[in-house]
Amino acid sequence: MNATIARLTWRSLLGRRRAVLLMVLPAILLILAVMFRVFQGADADNAAFLLGIFGVPFLIPLLGLIAGTGSIGPEIDDGSIVYVLAKPLSRYKIVVTKLVVAIVVMIAFGVLPILAAGYVLANGTSKVAIGYAAGSFAAGITYCALFLLLAVMTRNAVVTGLLYVLVWESAVGTFVPGAQALSIQQWGMAITEKIIGAPAEDLRATSPVGLTTAVVLLIVLFVGTTAYAGYRLRSIRLTSDE
Amino acid sequence: MSQQPELGVIHDIGFRHYTGPRLGRGYLLRSLYGESLRGAYGLGRSGKSKVMPFLLLAVMTIPALITAVVAAVTKADELPVAYTQYQNTLFLPIAIFVAAQAPALVSRDLRFKVMPLYLSRPLGRNDYVLAKFGALSSALLILISVPLVVLYAGALLAKLPFWTQTRGVLQGLAGAVMLALVLAGIGLLIASITPRRGFGVAAVVTVLLLLSVVAAVLQNLAITNEKQKLAGYLGAIDPGNLVDGVQVWLFNVEPSSQAGPPGTLGGVVFLLLTIAVVGISYGLLLLRYRKVSAS
Amino acid sequence: MTADSPLSMRLDGVSRWYGNVVAVNDVTMEIKAGVTGLLGPNGAGKSTLIHLMSGFLAPSSGTVTLHGQPTWHNEPIYRRIGLVPEREAMYDGVTGWQFVLYNAQLHQLKQPKEAAARAIDTVEMADAANRDIGTYSKGMKQRIKMATALVHDPDVLLLDEPFNGMDPRQRMQLMDLLHDLGERGRVVLFSSHILEEVEQIAGSIEVMVAGRHAASGDFREIRRLMTERPHQYTIRSSDDRTLAAALIADGSTSGVELQPGVLNVQATDYARFAHQLPAFARAHGVRLFEVSPADESLEKVFSYLVAR
Repeated sequence: MNATIARLTWRSLLGRRRAVLLMVLPAILLILAVMFRVFQGADADNAAFLLGIFGVPFLIPLLGLIAGTGSIGPEIDDGSIVYVLAKPLSRYKIVVTKLVVAIVVMIAFGVLPILAAGYVLANGTSKVAIGYAAGSFAAGITYCALFLLLAVMTRNAVVTGLLYVLVWESAVGTFVPGAQALSIQQWGMAITEKIIGAPAEDLRATSPVGLTTAVVLLIVLFVGTTAYAGYRLRSIRLTSDE
Repeated sequence: MSQQPELGVIHDIGFRHYTGPRLGRGYLLRSLYGESLRGAYGLGRSGKSKVMPFLLLAVMTIPALITAVVAAVTKADELPVAYTQYQNTLFLPIAIFVAAQAPALVSRDLRFKVMPLYLSRPLGRNDYVLAKFGALSSALLILISVPLVVLYAGALLAKLPFWTQTRGVLQGLAGAVMLALVLAGIGLLIASITPRRGFGVAAVVTVLLLLSVVAAVLQNLAITNEKQKLAGYLGAIDPGNLVDGVQVWLFNVEPSSQAGPPGTLGGVVFLLLTIAVVGISYGLLLLRYRKVSAS
Repeated sequence: MTADSPLSMRLDGVSRWYGNVVAVNDVTMEIKAGVTGLLGPNGAGKSTLIHLMSGFLAPSSGTVTLHGQPTWHNEPIYRRIGLVPEREAMYDGVTGWQFVLYNAQLHQLKQPKEAAARAIDTVEMADAANRDIGTYSKGMKQRIKMATALVHDPDVLLLDEPFNGMDPRQRMQLMDLLHDLGERGRVVLFSSHILEEVEQIAGSIEVMVAGRHAASGDFREIRRLMTERPHQYTIRSSDDRTLAAALIADGSTSGVELQPGVLNVQATDYARFAHQLPAFARAHGVRLFEVSPADESLEKVFSYLVAR
């Protein structure tokens, strides 16, 4: 961890326009949660529904994308990364520092709001809030690491990441059962399912992936992508504008 | 001015101005439109920029192909998915296309500060916006129409009734036009706010998906509270649903979402809203480009 | 690191290719203390060389070493190298002072604030240091970039086209600074495609043409080699034959080639030729339609050097 890099990354991630985008999403989640509470009362079913349609497949992957690519993408794009790289710093340290900042942003704008929304809607019954928060955390940090790697590897990281999340995880996952085993979303849901326990079936908060498999895959992908990102950063080319 | 002593003279070395015919604004507009449209599919640019648009076109068209083949093989009476529902089913790839290409069209010009180059020609700011808007709408129209045409061809080859199919595909194409205009407006407006392409992509897709998810959630809330009509209106929040609603009303087809626009009033409201969205986003775009510096 | 042998950047048989394109072709050179100019037309491989030396590119073959240590995949070497990159972008929304301070902190210096202040003083940006970088002129941005490259007191300074877009006064200031640094024993290398810039401060120059190391050594020697070459001219006139005869008789040319519609001349005594040609034309009543130098491009000049 390098404090200066952390500070610079934090400032760039929470620059004006990106900050607005980052704040709007959880704000809307919470407004919807309150609306559900007012019109339908506190209910685990509602919590599972809202978090299962807004939180897990939408909020977390998109936050992972914005925070993961945003933590290093713009610097590589305009070439200012050279000031970080022309220093006697381990590339792995640089990657880990940026990843930590991205994860903090993801927790602040994703995991905590999901936890809050869960409590608003389910009042701690059947551990729904904690379940979804934990699953979101696990999936979220993996998304951040994956998208940070993508940003190191290609200038088109955001679109590529989108294709993965939207086409592979959502669409293909619906039509091709095997694909679901390779979906970060589903691995996170396995953790959610475990924490919620018995009622998960009724709440449709289940995952086709077993818990052990999911946790192993999450760890492997998280560590693997981070390490590979550091490796690629050692050889990155300082190209001219586009 | 007092008489200055002649310290220097500019010689006439025969530099000639162009005195031939100039092609005028219309030509400029058409050229910018054509170049932007081709750019949206990566034509005329590097190989890499062709991958995304053509990949998405394939993703859009392959299901149409498969559906047509299935219909032919199973000797069905009608297509499993209606022409008007196709664009809603495949909203995700369409959204990704807008998100990826809207910034490609406008963010690059802003980032590399070439706007002064455009604006110092007889091309006005409003013409620039018109050309870009037209180009992205056309690109989206192509993206949605190609699969519809494939579906139509397949249906005819599967010997499905001619007039129903023709009517269906025309309805689908009408919907495609509306959706193209709506998404082009929203996409360009958001993309024009930032010179950073990556962020522009994220912002456009976030907004489009946000609207879609919020609409679905609110509709669900309304339906479980027995407010069918409200659910219908709430569907307008999602741009895909908005256009779908207009199709439902105009052509009397099945809605793709949980609830279509309620009755004639609903249909009229949806139509007006669609026109308003296109108009307002275009107007805001004009305003935004008024603030772009010309030097 | 041995304290007695002088510091130098060595390239030994370095080549760099991208698929079929060879950017740098078998270059061997040693950059010693003092100011060295890397000269060559655009696309000659100067930026590639600087990227190789600054550890941002790996040689496809050969070695690039600083005092025996390779520059590639060797992060600690940045303690001894300062790089002034060509691209403009720096961090948004920071003042010059903050930017240099960040760089000092990234170098993990023990006293970053003092080092930053020293660096800013060296580049004479103390007055403007508290303004946002976005408000700086091009020359000021270059100077702040220099400050970031100097903040850790490196032995080697690499500058990629530092004079691009500078006005004469800014150029002079930067040249004085580089000269000073070179005098104090640092290895200073800067790239340029403008002869005059290099001429004024570089003690020795390395010339690159189309990826090859074309010439090295004292600037005056190389300049002499370049001006003493025969100049090629293409002439179109109303009577090429007469003109050709007059030029051959005169002796200021070493070769006259008469082709249908055009006259190619190789002038050895350039000054005399430039004076005689219009004189001949007037004397013989020949009308000159076109007189154009056929090899004034820097590329041709440099390739002449390679041919020698």
